[in-house]
Amino acid sequence: MAIRLSRRKITSYIAGELAAGKETTLLINQLAAFLIDSRRTKELELVVRDIEYELKNQGIVLARVTSAFDLATATQTAITHLIKEHTNAQTIELRQFIDPTVLGGVKIDLPGLQMDTTIGHRLTTLRTNLKK
Amino acid sequence: MTKLSVHELSKDLRAAIVNLESTEGLASVGVVVRVGDGVAWVHGLHDAGYSEVLQIETANGIVEAFALNLMEDEIGAVLLGTDGEVSAGSTVRLKGTSLQVPVGPELLGRVVDPLGRPLDGAGPIKTKEFGLVERESIGVMGRKSVHEPLMTGIMSIDAMFPIGRGQRELIIGDRQTGKTALAIDTMINQAKQKTGVVNVYVAIGQKLSKVARLVDRLKAEGVMDQTIVVATSPSDPASLLYLAPYAATAMGEYFRDNKQHALMIYDDLTKHAVAYRQMSLLLRRPPGREAFPGDVFYLHSRLLERSAKLSDELGAGSLTALPIIETQAGDISAYIPTNVISITDGQIFLETDLFYQGIRPAISAGLSVSRVGGAAQTKAIKSVSGNLKLGLSQFRELASFAQFGSDLDAATKSQIERGQRLTELLKQPQYKPASIWEQVASIYAVTNGLFDEVQPAHIKDAQAALLTRLWADNKKDMQELDKGDKPSEAQTKAIEKVAKIVSKGFEGK
Repeated sequence: MAIRLSRRKITSYIAGELAAGKETTLLINQLAAFLIDSRRTKELELVVRDIEYELKNQGIVLARVTSAFDLATATQTAITHLIKEHTNAQTIELRQFIDPTVLGGVKIDLPGLQMDTTIGHRLTTLRTNLKK
Repeated sequence: MTKLSVHELSKDLRAAIVNLESTEGLASVGVVVRVGDGVAWVHGLHDAGYSEVLQIETANGIVEAFALNLMEDEIGAVLLGTDGEVSAGSTVRLKGTSLQVPVGPELLGRVVDPLGRPLDGAGPIKTKEFGLVERESIGVMGRKSVHEPLMTGIMSIDAMFPIGRGQRELIIGDRQTGKTALAIDTMINQAKQKTGVVNVYVAIGQKLSKVARLVDRLKAEGVMDQTIVVATSPSDPASLLYLAPYAATAMGEYFRDNKQHALMIYDDLTKHAVAYRQMSLLLRRPPGREAFPGDVFYLHSRLLERSAKLSDELGAGSLTALPIIETQAGDISAYIPTNVISITDGQIFLETDLFYQGIRPAISAGLSVSRVGGAAQTKAIKSVSGNLKLGLSQFRELASFAQFGSDLDAATKSQIERGQRLTELLKQPQYKPASIWEQVASIYAVTNGLFDEVQPAHIKDAQAALLTRLWADNKKDMQELDKGDKPSEAQTKAIEKVAKIVSKGFEGK
C-alpha cells in the first residue's frame, strides 16, 4: 500500500521547484494529476495556501492588494516597500484587485498576514461594536 | 415610547467612531476552511494560543470564537454564537486576549449569560473590571485550611455533614430528589442569616422557565440582591454551556479576591460534561469511556480547584462550591459521578426512596460525607450533634432488622423510637432554613430524650411549639446561642425547661 504523502511534503516540493525556476505549467499539471489520482482535490485550496506560505519562507511573497480605485504607481511602490520591510522578501509579486465594495482605503493580503485599512472593514467593526 | 434624540444619537455614533481600532501594520490572519455544528476550522494563524479569542469577519459583523484544537495545519475553534453567519473563506483574526467576562458588584441582582451579557432586560451592565474565564487556581501557600462554617440552614446538613467556607461539597442524586432545592435553601439562608456571602448560581442547560421561577423565588425571599444568576438554556450552543461554570467562577473569584465570601452553585455538572463531550466529538477528539474525551476529569478538577479559602495575606476571602450531579437510577459509580466525588471534599447523596417516603430533604446518612467541614462546624451545633449521624445510621439498620421480629429488648426498642423521632425532626420544608439556635434547641430536645413522650407523628408540632415558646420566653439567651458558641448551662437549662413543658402538652396524643 502506498504511503499517503503529507500536504506539507507536497507543498514544500512544489514551492522548492517554483523557487528554483522550474516551468510553472508543468508543475501545475503534475500537482493537478497527483491530486486527482490520490482523490485529494478537496485539499486544493489548502495546498495553494501552503505553497504561498512556503514561498514566503523562501523569500518570495505573493501579495494581493484590494482597493476601490486603481492605485497610483507611487502608492504601489510604497506598498512594495512596506511588504519588503515587514517580510524581508527578495521578490514581491503584487497583484491588484479593484473592489468597489471596500469603499475606500486599501487591503493588503499576504500569506498569513493582512493589513486592512478599508472603509468597508471599519464599517463592519463599527456595526459589531454598536450591536454590543 | 422613549423620545429619540438626534443629538444623543450623533454623540454616541461619534464616540463609537473615535473608539474604532485603527489597524496599523500587517496582522496575522487565517481563513475559515469549513464550518458546521458550532465549530469552525481555521487555516493559518500559527501563533494562536489555546483558548485565545478569534474574530471571524462576516457580512453582518464580527463573530467571536475561541481556539480549542491547535493542530499542525488547522485550528479547531468553537463559535460563541450560531454558525449561520460564518462561511468558508471568512477572514479570521486574533483578538490578542483569552476569554474574559465582566466581574464586579455591578453584576449582583442580575441574570446574565456566560459572556456577561444581561438576560433580564434591566439595562446594560457596566463593570469596571474583567476576569479571565480560564484562570489558574490559587497555590498551596495562598490557601488556608477550611475553618469558617457556611451554614446551609438545613438541619441534617449542618449537624451531620457541615460545610465550611472554601469547601467543595457535591450534591448528588437522581432527578426530582431535591438537589436544586438544597442549593436554593442554602442561598436563602445566606440572606436570612445575613452572612454577607454572595451567591452565584450557574444554570447549565436548564429550562429558562425553571430559571425564571428560581429568580422569582429568590426575589421574593430577598436573596436576589446578593446573587448573580448565570443562565444557559438547552437551546444555547454547546460552547456557552461549556463556558458557563468557568465564567461564573470568574465572577465569584472577584469577591473571593476582594476579601469577601462567595458561594458557587453549579447546576449541574452532568449537563456540563455532556456539552463538553459534544464539543470534543465535533472537534474530532478521540472518545473514551461513555464517549467522553480523555480530559473530562481535568474539565471538572480545574474548575473546582478554583474554590478555596484564601490565606490571611491574600485577604482571607473564600469561594465555596456546591456542584450538582444527576445520577441515573442511583448509580453513583458511573463515570462523571465518580470523577466529581473524587474531586470534591465530600458529597450529600439524595435518595429517591427516602424522597417518596416523605423524608425530605432525602439525605442518605450512610452515603453522605463531609471531609473537611467538621473543622468548620459551629461549637453550638457540634455540642449537640455528636452522635447524630451514627445514631441515625444504626436506627436505619435496626429498623430494617426489627421488621422480622416482634419481640425486641427495651434498649433496641428505645433506640428505634429515638431514631424515628430524629428522622421526623430532620424533615424540613423547602424555603425554611433554620437558624443556629433553632437547630441547637431542636436537636438537643430530641437527642436528650426530652421528647421521648411525644409520638413521632407529633414531633414537628412539638418542635414548632418549643421554638415559639423559647423565642417568647428566652429571646436574649437564644440570640446569644445564635452566635454559634457552645451553649451555656443557663441556655441548656432553658431549653430543657421549655421542652419538658411542651412535651407534657403532647403526652397521650
